[in-house]
Amino acid sequence: MFEPSFATLAAGIIQTLVLIAFSPLLTGVMRKVKARSQKRIGASILQPYYDIVKLMRKDEVISDQTSWIFKSAPWINFAAVATAALFVPVMLAYSPFGLAGDVLLVIGLFSLARFFTVLSGLDSASAFGGLGSSREMMLSSLIEPALFLTIFTVSLTFGATNITTLVSSAAGLQQLVTPSLLFALISMFVIVIAETGRLPFDNPATHLELTMVHEAMVLEYSGKLLALIEWAQSIKHLTLLALMINIFFPWGVATSLSAAAVGEGLLVFAAKALAIGVIIAFIETRVAKWRLFRIPDLIAIAIASSMVGIVFFYI
Amino acid sequence: MSSSINNGISKYTSTITEKFGEHVESINEANRNEMHITLRQLDSAPRICEYIYSEFHGRLSTIVCSDERRVANGRFMLRYVFSMSDDGNDVFIVVTAKIDQHNSSFPSIALQIPAAFLYEREINDMFGLTPQGNPDVRPLVLHEDWPSGAFPLRKDFDISTKMPREHKEYRFTKVEGEGVCEIPVGPVHAGIIEPGHFRFSILGEHIVNLETRLFYTHKGIEKLAENRSLEETLLLAERISGDESVANSTAYCQAVEKIAQSSLPRRAEQLRVVYAEMERIYNHLGTLAGISTDVGYAYGSARLNILKERMMRLNETVTGSRLLFGVNRIGGVAVDVSDEVGKTFIEIMNDVQQDFEAVIALLKTKSSFIDRLRNTGVIPRKAAKELSIVGVAARCAGLDIDVRRDHSYAAYSGLRIDPHHDSPRSVTKYRIEMQKRVGDALSRFEVRVDEVKDSMNIIEKVLRNLSEGEIRATVPQENLKPYSHGLGYAESHRGETMHWLMLGENKNIFRYKVRTASFCNWPIIEQAVMNDIIPDFPLVNKSLDLSYSGNDL
Repeated sequence: MFEPSFATLAAGIIQTLVLIAFSPLLTGVMRKVKARSQKRIGASILQPYYDIVKLMRKDEVISDQTSWIFKSAPWINFAAVATAALFVPVMLAYSPFGLAGDVLLVIGLFSLARFFTVLSGLDSASAFGGLGSSREMMLSSLIEPALFLTIFTVSLTFGATNITTLVSSAAGLQQLVTPSLLFALISMFVIVIAETGRLPFDNPATHLELTMVHEAMVLEYSGKLLALIEWAQSIKHLTLLALMINIFFPWGVATSLSAAAVGEGLLVFAAKALAIGVIIAFIETRVAKWRLFRIPDLIAIAIASSMVGIVFFYI
Repeated sequence: MSSSINNGISKYTSTITEKFGEHVESINEANRNEMHITLRQLDSAPRICEYIYSEFHGRLSTIVCSDERRVANGRFMLRYVFSMSDDGNDVFIVVTAKIDQHNSSFPSIALQIPAAFLYEREINDMFGLTPQGNPDVRPLVLHEDWPSGAFPLRKDFDISTKMPREHKEYRFTKVEGEGVCEIPVGPVHAGIIEPGHFRFSILGEHIVNLETRLFYTHKGIEKLAENRSLEETLLLAERISGDESVANSTAYCQAVEKIAQSSLPRRAEQLRVVYAEMERIYNHLGTLAGISTDVGYAYGSARLNILKERMMRLNETVTGSRLLFGVNRIGGVAVDVSDEVGKTFIEIMNDVQQDFEAVIALLKTKSSFIDRLRNTGVIPRKAAKELSIVGVAARCAGLDIDVRRDHSYAAYSGLRIDPHHDSPRSVTKYRIEMQKRVGDALSRFEVRVDEVKDSMNIIEKVLRNLSEGEIRATVPQENLKPYSHGLGYAESHRGETMHWLMLGENKNIFRYKVRTASFCNWPIIEQAVMNDIIPDFPLVNKSLDLSYSGNDL
């Protein structure tokens, strides 16, 4: 179907750039939806771009108690997440870098990003950073196994962990829904919300340091480094959505390299990403943040759901 | 003394005379419901206070210290004010003890009556009188930069003194053990709130100990009031805490009116009730919205904040001030409500009430919302009683305290504060309800919801039956004698607000002691978080609705 060539390589890089360039837009749209559903007018959907530009221009305040980790963590974070974006198909059912890594690498890169964010939270030696880091580790130690289980359920169905194979088999699937994929989807949806720190797991809009998870770790950042962190967070969000969309709803993804197919693929992807973004934003409006120690229950649902998916595969 | 007008007082008088006759110099009755017991010796104060506390079930309302060394008796005076409200009696017992000039200490009652410990620390700071036997005599009001040996509320301390700064250290309670961490939060917080420091000791996410440190914005209101005219001090009273302007000005005005023995026109009393309830409504709506924000449910808070804003605009339409400033005057009120305004008032309020009930119905069915509130921030009833907490915080823990009913003022005596007191059956039902309240954030939420509805009913009832006539009476000046004093009190949305006023020469203020509900309720937060985890603290704090400004006088 796809041969590694200059054209596919270029297409692959464009896919990555799409993820990087449009991820703040998704954040902006979700914030707008949240604002409107909460009876607020809300900022422009372009606000995340303005914020990044604004922060890039600002001075940084860095505690003199920090080490190299604090300054390098946002760069490692951004690089890891942007690299992960290279492996995830967007409008093509193909990622030219699939030769270099599969879906497990994507999860690994996310873990790397998280690892350094956690370290930076501890590095500044502020009480809130430590709290955030310990909470993040508690949650991630539950989310990661759940994510692996979900991926394994999908891999069992399609017989591969290579993302290109996964997406092209999904796109070529005759059945609309298989039970094991359906349960994997439920699990994946919970994981996407948890992994991106949305309600009911974490409240990205709160000002209360004591309740924060992700925000508490990055509380000490300002200026360029903060811009990198926020941007990386947006990219991670869109990358996870792209992964979910192309594995579970691959309809409309381009299976050939013609301009028309790619254009259509891009439009369809945009529509799907927006739809899921809106759904997540709406869910966020409808729930309160859960108690910290009840969150594992929710992740347990994701794990159980993947298990059921695996069982269905063998039945 | 036996010919007392107030039945309650005569009962207490005979018991006190019988038990403590030899220690008591005099017992007299003043200002309709104040019973003053003057002691011969300072040393007998703890015994009598403990007796009133444990046998009469008196609630320690406030402790007033005043420097009366240059006045007739030449001493520091301590006045322990107990609120008595059993059997429907409306009495305040004031135990008065004298401290000699050359004596710089007094016996502490904090071990018998835990609620006294903060008052005693405050007196230690402001008057330099040490409570002997109080286990904690660290500075409270005056922080580390205040030089030792300077006592601002003594009369020989000039208000315009410029103080040099010192550097001392404050010792927080240290919790030690494997894995115990300290988290300092504040005094500067995220969000637009006032300063306060919270020192948590945590084990993982669990709170092992919390110590609060307040008074960062101490404004010296009590000192500022001294030597000012009565009218000027009214403006000061309104500004003690912006969201309690009506409660504080009502309490202040009532203290003056009590001393002057003036009676208000009926219409003025009714309007005071209306304004007080308006204040309660918009503040409770704000707190309910805040609870919703702090659990991360922005939709609920958006809806409630809209209602709060509508009520505040209504405040402005009716009184000309969103925060209800300037409504009270000594001898009545400054703002009248015409029939026409009253009608639109009721219309708008009913509209708000409908919306309010819809939002509350939504919140009550939201499991993620209710789950966060249930069993969070539980106030143990024993601690609530011992620390003499007031207002919603006390009522949510099953302590039935409400100044509007217990020491009814303005036009409250004619009103049922809660609709549950109509028949013996409903009284029993209400008592059972009270017993069921466990003191968690959910019960505070429910109590506030009920109070908003009650307040709306009260306003409607009063406005429909508004008496004709004047809204302000002239206060008989001849009764405003030098060194006469009186208690003024009101139920703010946070609880009992106590003001004590002593006049000086030329009808100026000699001593003005203010104790808002927040002063009583702040210590309970340290108890309420004991079974909680760190991320639930903001919710516990919000559900208690404590004021920094009202505390840091």
